[in-house]
Amino acid sequence: MRRRLLKAVALPGYQVPYASRELPIARGWGTGGLQVTLSLVGPCDCIKVIDQGADDSVNAANLRRFIARMTGVETTTDALQATLIQSRHRIPEERLREGQILVLQVPSPEPLLPVQPDLAKAREMHADADYALMWLSLYEQLVQYGTFTTGAEYPVLVHGRYLMSPSPIPRWDTPMLHQAAHVTLLAAGREKRLYAVPPYTDVYPLEFEDVHFRVESQQGRVCYQTGARHKLMNELPQPDGQVRYQLSDSGYATKLWQHQQGDTVTIGATYYDDAGNFYHRGYLKPDTDPA
Amino acid sequence: MAYVATRGGEQAMRHAEQFFRTLNGPVDTACIRLIQRHMPYLIDRIMGEASLYAPELAALALVQTGGDLYEAVLLLRAYRSTQPRLAYAIPIESEQTLTVRRISAAFQDVPGGQMLGPTLDYSHRLLQTELLDPTQAPPPRVPMPEADTAAPRHYQPVTTWQRLNGLLDAAPEHPPCDPVDIPDVTRQPVTFPAPRAQRLQLLARADTGGLLTLGYAGMNGYGITHPTVNELCLAYADVYLRNPLTGTPFSAGRVRISQAEIVTPFRGGEAQLGLGFAATMGWNEVKVIAAAMLDLEMDGPDPHPAHQEAFVLTHTEAVEASGFCIHYKLPHYVTFQSNLDSLRRAQTQASHRVPATEQNE
Amino acid sequence: MMPATSTTGAISSPIQTLLDPPRLVTRRPLLQTDGLLKRYGRVTAVQDVELRVYPGEMVGIVGESGSGKSTVLRLLNLQELPDEGSLILDLPGYAETNLFALDRFQRRMIQCQHIGIVYQNPYLGLRMQTSSSGNIAERLIMAGERTFQTMRQVARESLDASEFPLERMDDAPWQLSGGMQQRVQLARAIALRPLVLLLDEPTTGLDVSVQALVLDTLKHLQHELQPATVLVSHDLGVIRTLTDRALVMRHGRVVEHGLTDQILDDPQHPYTQQLVHARLS
Repeated sequence: MRRRLLKAVALPGYQVPYASRELPIARGWGTGGLQVTLSLVGPCDCIKVIDQGADDSVNAANLRRFIARMTGVETTTDALQATLIQSRHRIPEERLREGQILVLQVPSPEPLLPVQPDLAKAREMHADADYALMWLSLYEQLVQYGTFTTGAEYPVLVHGRYLMSPSPIPRWDTPMLHQAAHVTLLAAGREKRLYAVPPYTDVYPLEFEDVHFRVESQQGRVCYQTGARHKLMNELPQPDGQVRYQLSDSGYATKLWQHQQGDTVTIGATYYDDAGNFYHRGYLKPDTDPA
Repeated sequence: MAYVATRGGEQAMRHAEQFFRTLNGPVDTACIRLIQRHMPYLIDRIMGEASLYAPELAALALVQTGGDLYEAVLLLRAYRSTQPRLAYAIPIESEQTLTVRRISAAFQDVPGGQMLGPTLDYSHRLLQTELLDPTQAPPPRVPMPEADTAAPRHYQPVTTWQRLNGLLDAAPEHPPCDPVDIPDVTRQPVTFPAPRAQRLQLLARADTGGLLTLGYAGMNGYGITHPTVNELCLAYADVYLRNPLTGTPFSAGRVRISQAEIVTPFRGGEAQLGLGFAATMGWNEVKVIAAAMLDLEMDGPDPHPAHQEAFVLTHTEAVEASGFCIHYKLPHYVTFQSNLDSLRRAQTQASHRVPATEQNE
Repeated sequence: MMPATSTTGAISSPIQTLLDPPRLVTRRPLLQTDGLLKRYGRVTAVQDVELRVYPGEMVGIVGESGSGKSTVLRLLNLQELPDEGSLILDLPGYAETNLFALDRFQRRMIQCQHIGIVYQNPYLGLRMQTSSSGNIAERLIMAGERTFQTMRQVARESLDASEFPLERMDDAPWQLSGGMQQRVQLARAIALRPLVLLLDEPTTGLDVSVQALVLDTLKHLQHELQPATVLVSHDLGVIRTLTDRALVMRHGRVVEHGLTDQILDDPQHPYTQQLVHARLS
C-alpha cells in the first residue's frame, strides 16, 4: 500500500492499481480512503473524518469510530489540528498546511468513464494524453445548454499531464488542489485505484480560453447559524417554500460559533476570503458563459 | 437532517444496530449449528461467493446478518483478508475428485455412466405443510438403500472422449506451475483482458444471481441459443498440502466443489466444439452452469455488450456491486447542490439564448 | 505530353519512371508511397502499390469490391500499418520520413493535422450523437485549439464551404439525411485545411440528384483548397468528373494507370476494358 502511494506521488494524477483488500466496511463506503488512512496513521497522528463537510455525518462518524478502534489514534473535528483528514466529497474551508495529509474517498477514479466506458481504451487514452473527447463534451455542453453542466467531480489536468477525477468534491473545492501546501491522496476501494496530488502541483480544471470554469455561486447566501458568507453552503428547504443556508464545513462552523460565544479558538486562513476571492489570485477567471 | 444529527451520530448508530439485534432476537451457538446442519446449499453459496471454505464461519455470518446474503459474504471476505496464507494446495485433476453426482446432457450415456447423486431435480415441488403441524408425528426416516454395485469414485471426463474423437481441440499445454505464481484476484488488481486464472477466480466468487441473469440472457437469445451441458459434477476434493519438512503430500481435508462444462458447436468460426468451464467451492449448480456458459460467451467473436469479459466480471462482483448500490443511501447533498447550481445556471442561460445561427460570434 | 498509360499486368517498375509529372508541377509530390504490401492472414489485400500525388491534384483509384482500393486508403490515412512499404508526405521536418515508421502518437498527430478523410459509411467518420459542429470542433481540439468561439467560427466556415445548411449545424448527424451527413464528413475533413484529402466512395449510396450536388461541392473545394486528393470509387462517372489521373486496381495490384480521360476512353488492360465496357452497356 505504501509503495503504491509512493508511486502515486511520483506520478501526479496517474491511477495506480492496488490490491484493495476487503475491509469490515461495505465497498463503496470509503474503503479506499480507509486503506490509505490505516496504512499511514502513526501513534502521533490526529485524524479528522468528514463526509459532505460534516464530522458527524453517520458515515464519517462510523469511519472515525472504526479508525480509532483499530489504531487508538486521536481524533478531532478541527482541520488545523488534524495531521490526516479523511474526507468524502469535501475539502475543509481552512487552508491546509505543509505536512498535513488529505485523503479523499473516490467512487469512480476514471475521469474518462463518461466518454469511454471501456476501461482498457481509457487507459490507452491516458497513455496518449488524448483527452479530446473530454474537451468535446465541454463543447457539447456549451452548444446544448450555454454553460458547463458538470456538477461535482469536475475533471482536472494534473501537472500538465494526466486528466484526473478530483473525487466528487464540489467545484468550489477544485481550486484548493492547485499548488496546495498539503498532499492529497485519492483512493477508490471498489475500483482498486489510487492516485495523488503532491504538494505544490499544478491542478487546472478543463476550461476553454474564452469560456471559463466557474465554482458554485454562493452569492447572497448567509449561514443562518454563524452569519458566514462566501463559503460553501448547504441549501436547506423550509416548509414554507423558503430556503435557509448553513455552512457545509461543520468543523469550521463550530469554531466560528465558539468564537462568537467568546471562546478562544484558532481559526485558520480560508481558501476563499469573506469577499469570495480565492487565495491564488487570478486562478479563477471571470465568468464568461457565451450569451 | 436527522442522519447528520449534530453530535448524536455515534449514539444513533449504536442504537440502530442494537435495534436490529433486538428485533431479530437473540442468537446462540445452537442456532448457528442448526443453520449449518440444515442449510448446506445456502452455506455453499456464500462460501463460494466469499471464496472462503469455512462452513461454521459461513453459518455464523448468516446468523449475524439476519440472513442478508450480501452482508454475510462481506463479513466472510473481510475476515478472509485478515488471514495469513499458510500454504498453497497442490493442484489436482478432475479425475482425482471424489464425485457424487455427474451428469452429461450431451450423450445418453458416457464412459463411467450418468450418476444422479443427491439432487432435488426430480422431486415434486410440493410444500410439505404437514411438517408445520406440531401434533403430527415426524415422518419416519427411510434408510438409504444400498446399491448393488458401488458407484465409481472417479470418472473419466467427457472431454477426454471428445478430444480422442477430434471434436475438441487438445487441452492446452500447461507447464508445471508453482501455485504461488498464479495471479490472485484478492492480491492483485485485475486489468482486462484478464488472465484465465483470474477470470475463473472471478467467476467462482461472482454473485450467483448476477451470473444467472447474464447467463440467462445469453441462453435466451442474446448469445449461444442452445448451450449443451457437457458435464456437471458435484464432488469432494482433497486439499493436498506438502509436509513442510519431508515434502510429502498429504490431504488436509476435503471440500465440496462443483464444476460445469458447456459446449456448443462452431464456436469461434471453427468446425470444433467450443468449451466453457467454471468451478466453485461448494455445490452451486445453477451458478457453475451460468458461469461456464458465460465463460464461453465471453470468448465469442463479437459478444453482446453485456457478455463482454470486463462487463461480466466487474458487474457480477457481489461485494462491490452490493456495496456500491447501498452507498447511495449515504448523504450526497453536496454533490446534489453542485448539480443544482449547474442546472439553475443552464435554466438562466436558456431563458435568454438565441439560436446558433443568429449569434454574432 | 507523351501517353502515360501502362498496361503491364503486374507492375514491376515504379510509376514515376513511366509518368511525366503533370505539367504544372515542378516540385516533388506531396504524397508518395512505395511498395505497399498488406496482408490479412492468408489474404494479400494490397501488393506493390506505388502512388504519387501532387498538390492540387486528384487521383482516382478504380476497382471492384475487394480489389484493395479501400485498404490503400486506410493505409494512406495511417489508420492501419502495411506489412511493407513506405508513405512520405512532403511536410516540413518529415520530408524524408516514412510515416509508417512513426510511433502511434506521432502518426495520430500527422493524421489529425494533415489528412482529412470522408468515408462512404458516415458511421465510420462521424460521431452520430454529437452535434455536427462538434464533429468539426473535435478536429480542432485534437490539433490543440482551446477557444470556443474559434471552434464555432471554423465549424461554421467549414460547414459553409461544404454547402451545409448552417441552421442545422448543431443537429446531430443521426438527425440528418445521407447527403447532409456526407457534407458534415467533408467539413470535418477540411476543417484544418489538410494537405491530403482521402475520399472513400463519398457519394455512393446517395440519390443521383444529391450525388451531383455533393460532387459539385467536392470539385469546388478541390479547386479552392488545392489538397493532394485520393478518391476511391467503383463509379467511373465519379472518377471522370473529379480526377486528373486514375489507377485501376485488381486483386490488390495496380493493373493500369494514367490520365483519367485516357484510361476511360482508351483502356489498354483487358480488365479496365471490361470495367469501362460494363458501364457503357
